[in-house]
Amino acid sequence: MKKFGIVLQYELNEYFNNKGFVIFTVILALAGAVVLFLPRFIDMSGFTGVETTVSSGQPGEDSQPESGGQTEEQEKTSYLYLDLAGVVKEDVLIQMFPMGSWQKAESEEALTAAVTAGEAEAGFVVLGPSEYRYYVFNKGMSDSNTMMFSQAMKQFFRIDFCAAHGLDLNEIMTVVDVPVTVEEQVLNKDSTSNYWYCYFLVVIVFMLIVMYGQMIAVSVTNEKSNRAIEVLVTSTTPDSLLFGKVIAGAIGGLLQTGIIMGAILLSYQVNRELWGGMLDMFLHIPADVLISFAVFGMGGYLFYAFLYGAMGALVSKTEDVSKSSGGLQVIIMVVYFFALMQLMNVDGPIIKVLSFLPISSYSTMFARIAMGTVAPWEIAVSFLILAVSIIGTGVLGARLYRMGTLRYGNPVKLSAALKGLRKSEQ
Amino acid sequence: MKLEVKDIRKSFGEKEVLHGISFQVESGKALGLLGRNGAGKTTTIRILMDVFHANSGSILLNGEKFIPSEHRIGYLPEERGLYPKRLIIDQMIYLARLRGMNGAGAKQNAKKWLERLEVAEYEKRKLETLSKGNQQKVQLASTLVHDPDIVILDEPFSGLDPVNSQILKDVVNELIADGRLVIFSSHQMSYVEEFCDNIAIINQGEVVLEGELREIKREYGRNRLMLSAENLDQDELEERLRSNFAGLVQISGRKKEFLILELAGTTRRQQVMERLASSDIEVERFGSYAPSLNDIFVAKVGEES
Repeated sequence: MKKFGIVLQYELNEYFNNKGFVIFTVILALAGAVVLFLPRFIDMSGFTGVETTVSSGQPGEDSQPESGGQTEEQEKTSYLYLDLAGVVKEDVLIQMFPMGSWQKAESEEALTAAVTAGEAEAGFVVLGPSEYRYYVFNKGMSDSNTMMFSQAMKQFFRIDFCAAHGLDLNEIMTVVDVPVTVEEQVLNKDSTSNYWYCYFLVVIVFMLIVMYGQMIAVSVTNEKSNRAIEVLVTSTTPDSLLFGKVIAGAIGGLLQTGIIMGAILLSYQVNRELWGGMLDMFLHIPADVLISFAVFGMGGYLFYAFLYGAMGALVSKTEDVSKSSGGLQVIIMVVYFFALMQLMNVDGPIIKVLSFLPISSYSTMFARIAMGTVAPWEIAVSFLILAVSIIGTGVLGARLYRMGTLRYGNPVKLSAALKGLRKSEQ
Repeated sequence: MKLEVKDIRKSFGEKEVLHGISFQVESGKALGLLGRNGAGKTTTIRILMDVFHANSGSILLNGEKFIPSEHRIGYLPEERGLYPKRLIIDQMIYLARLRGMNGAGAKQNAKKWLERLEVAEYEKRKLETLSKGNQQKVQLASTLVHDPDIVILDEPFSGLDPVNSQILKDVVNELIADGRLVIFSSHQMSYVEEFCDNIAIINQGEVVLEGELREIKREYGRNRLMLSAENLDQDELEERLRSNFAGLVQISGRKKEFLILELAGTTRRQQVMERLASSDIEVERFGSYAPSLNDIFVAKVGEES
């Protein structure tokens, strides 16, 4: 146990003395925090929808738009229309396109030329009361002009119809378009708001396992390739070496992720109102979900890290590590995709089964906790299975490590290594 | 302390590579483990260090089962290696602590051994930045960093230049004088000859010769003489001996400067001297022949292979 502590301390120091590790952590944490503090220093109301007062550096001066309304006019999007049916009403267009400025075109050719030249964003040629042609140079992914203009066309029709039949349009609209107020009370979990941060956390834990697992495997192989392993295994037990290395990686990963996520989540919490809650779906994570993420995520990490360590011991060159850990990577990838797919159906039978398997409970159980219905006993049983499996992989990993450490030359196949272990037991 | 290795056997798969290795060594003495490449020296040492398990046989320390983890052992493996990208002082302290020292003692000893091996100026450098010879010295310092009672050195002189070899020789002599138990594996017979009181020659997984070096040498030199002449070259001298000394001596070998003769049957040295005095051979050098360890090794391993 004492030697495990020495190995752990030495391996941890390697993380903390690694400039790349420290700089990467600090830069990501700072970058996240800086972005989330931006609304305090920059007017982002156009993006967040929240009006903020930004100090200009001159006390007592409020920031004002330049030369009264001119900037606003310049920022408006220019549209053209050609009314061949005589139905267009500009006041309706202005109402439908509050950020648009409208001009009549002389002809369809002139309208097309102006749009092609970039003088107007888009052009509409109204062919009849319920028919129009839309011109745009490059159509964007979020182009909603036709949707808005179609609404405007319907309104033109309603106005003309009411005028022709002596009806009051406003009175009719109060009947046709009755405003309804909804007061929503979610009694358990709200998947629509929890989905994205769950997705986000599944990706993070997957990245942690693959990244740190690979680092551990490479580190073990390095000790073989630089021949330090014989000095090490004769100075302490293989168990201390492997456990120390894996737990140090776990602590390093937890600290790195904790610092980066902590900085981001805390910065968002402080500035949440200024963001108008628009990032809640990613960054407003309840404490119970965070705790279950930390516990199950760490469990999954340890489960796989021991196996990565053993895989590293089966090869002698770092370039062979990916070959050795390929099978493990496939399992992790399959679990990852299954977990993401099942986030849509967190109370379904597949995710329930996955949440009890040690290869997948690290992501699926906390997804169920965040988004579905899960009984406390299910959490306890899942964690127990994971904990026992971690001990199992730890012991197996240490034995494979012990056996593989002094086998130089060609990579040892896992099946051959397990066969060798069984033989040595007999 | 007395370490005894008794009838160790080891197989890898179906192939037995050690066929009953036995030797013993005591504190304050050094044992030279000799053998050709692949003879089984490193496997024997790895079994001693519990890296491999023997299929049968026993290792005893002071008559009790030897458990390496319960003793302070300094082991320099044949496959040298430390962390190339980590600071020398850090990894030395790490190894000393793993072998049972506390932090302060580990630091103090790390500095002491780096100083002793004349590489103290590199303590804050990464190992990979040092020359091969200096890396070797750091490796030796890390072997001794915890002041071990038992020192096992597998080919310690490989890669060292004469100056560094001298430093290592001095250190090994100090360890022996300090009462440590030293096991020393090498191809370089001159070093073994210099340090070791006992030797064990391993050939093809078997000990073919074991015992006190002085005794072995005396045994090998018992009936042997060396002879050179001023007036004859070696070929002429050999020819003369074959024709005039038949029945008294046989020629058993040649060195650059003399011939090695073996007394035949019950012949005494006195008789050879008398015959020489009455011959026309102008004796340049005549005396008892003390074989080198190299001669014994070649003779013994040559016989066996």
